Amino acid sequence: MVEMVETLETVAAEFTTPDAVVLAARRVRALGYGRVEAYTPFPLEELDEALARPRPRLPLLVFLAGGGGATLALAIQWWTNAWDYPLDVGGRPHASWPTYVPIVFETAVLCAAAVAFAAVLLGSRLPRLHDEVFDLPGFERSTIDRFWLRIEDVARDEEPALRAALAGAVGLHGLGGAS
Amino acid sequence: MSAAVLAKVRPEGELTDDLLRGVLAPPRWTVAALAVTFAGTLGLFAAIAYTVTTGIGVWGNNVPNVWAFGITNFVWWIGIGHAGTFISAFLLLLEQKWRSSINRFAEAMTLFAVAQAGLFPLLHMGRPWFFYWLMPYPATMDMWPQFRSPLTWDVVAVATYLLVSLLFWYLGLVPDLATLRDRAPTLRRRRVYAVFALGWSGSAAAWRRWRIGYGLLAGLATPLVVSVHSIVASDFATANLPGWHATVFPPYFVAGAILSGFAMVVTLLVPVRRLYRLEHVVTGRHLDNIAKMLLLTSWIVLYSYAAETYAAWRSDDPFERYVYLEARPLGAFAPLYWTTIACNCVAPQLLWSRRARTSPWLLFALSLAVQAGMWTERYMLVVSSQSRDFLPSSWRTFTPTVVDLALLGGTISFFAFLFLLFLRYVPLVPIAEMKHLQHELARERDG
Repeated sequence: MVEMVETLETVAAEFTTPDAVVLAARRVRALGYGRVEAYTPFPLEELDEALARPRPRLPLLVFLAGGGGATLALAIQWWTNAWDYPLDVGGRPHASWPTYVPIVFETAVLCAAAVAFAAVLLGSRLPRLHDEVFDLPGFERSTIDRFWLRIEDVARDEEPALRAALAGAVGLHGLGGAS
Repeated sequence: MSAAVLAKVRPEGELTDDLLRGVLAPPRWTVAALAVTFAGTLGLFAAIAYTVTTGIGVWGNNVPNVWAFGITNFVWWIGIGHAGTFISAFLLLLEQKWRSSINRFAEAMTLFAVAQAGLFPLLHMGRPWFFYWLMPYPATMDMWPQFRSPLTWDVVAVATYLLVSLLFWYLGLVPDLATLRDRAPTLRRRRVYAVFALGWSGSAAAWRRWRIGYGLLAGLATPLVVSVHSIVASDFATANLPGWHATVFPPYFVAGAILSGFAMVVTLLVPVRRLYRLEHVVTGRHLDNIAKMLLLTSWIVLYSYAAETYAAWRSDDPFERYVYLEARPLGAFAPLYWTTIACNCVAPQLLWSRRARTSPWLLFALSLAVQAGMWTERYMLVVSSQSRDFLPSSWRTFTPTVVDLALLGGTISFFAFLFLLFLRYVPLVPIAEMKHLQHELARERDG
């Protein structure tokens, strides 16, 4: 069971069903713990409200990236074809913006997609080589059929209340000192 | 209704093992199949090497047929890719539950088809090592690409399509790679999967970001698909050749692309579903839905054929009229023309019958017919207009060379090889998404 290192420590609990982990998350949050994280094999929308997560800013970032890409593409096309190296093609205008639209659109999509991809990973501190939860015995089943809950900043004297909140867990582990 | 998307509900552990079986205990035939397709791929690279070292003269192309097999194959392959993105992205936005079990499969198909497509314009340059001349970089030549040409749009569109498809596919794959990391039998394989899983821990925060990001990528990929083939259509539609500049071209190309893409999905899905015993995950309902999409896009294609022919007839332009009303349906291109009509417009009418829609091998045969029909359609379109343009003195017939045929056959082989590699090393059904689907269906059932 839990080993004492300092006054505050991290506790991890393992559950067998998605409903159990959601219920436990709600109870633990009700006890007032702020730093709670769940680990599940598939996305559980119920956890987002149970853990009261703020909305990620990802959509805004992606929108800005798309706008930046579009602006860049428009600037490059206009400057190269209308300003720096104007070429007369059948007497058409040099700055014929309708012909710039396809590349503006494609570049916007490319930049937005690249930023979306990068933001998903970097926002979750990925890629990384190791995570302390990987050291938990049996944690490898969290990508298959087990559901984990990790509670940080647990004081020794709060343990009984926390245990009651985590009723239904098939395993409880201490991760040691404060992080 | 939705229960038919998944034939049976199973505990997550059992479901995981079942879906990983193809990777952890690959069927015996995979090695042989990989060897055969790898040999074909070597043939492709031999043809490429010969083309590059000798010159484009080894193809059958010659004035006036400057675009022949190369562009036909390019358009055909990139079209095939479209259904993958369509299934994956568009159906995700529409929250269609039947997409879950086939989306990864379809995206992989897209990726590999676009990779084949990209080879042709590159080789067509004759000096592919100068491909970067198409990019706006500050060159010592003091020149810039000409952005008013659809050919430069194409470069950006195809490159964007390939990269976005890759990111979309890989992002969806990361959680399953983590499952493989935790499930693979040997330490070496665990390490390899661990590298590609990027340290995914499945935390609620990461899942939330993943879902939002994945949804955004789907939202970006959907208009992207429409734009890519519209731009490919503009390659033709901005030219002056008779038979190339109907205004219906962009939507007509997109519909044709999705038709051929869905055909490729069926071509791959029917045997894979059988060989990997996935009938409970890819059910009759999936086949039925795909068949309906085939029928729908087939009608849009039929309408486009009619619209361009009608426009040519009403144009009073003798060259347009000649190409549409004589050269294609009655002249030298008649066999291709009627093959196209039979494969793309007549054969899919079988799908009005529910029995036909749920009979896998009939669908399989039909999908091969559609792919052949889509290829002849592009070939007819590319070659007929160039070999029968304004001056009869410059009329010439195009004949493909052995190298042309080797490149087409070789890309089919290479595509199959890449697809087999995908089946061998990556779970072809998204595991996390299937678990999520089970969870959602259970939630709906219990209210």
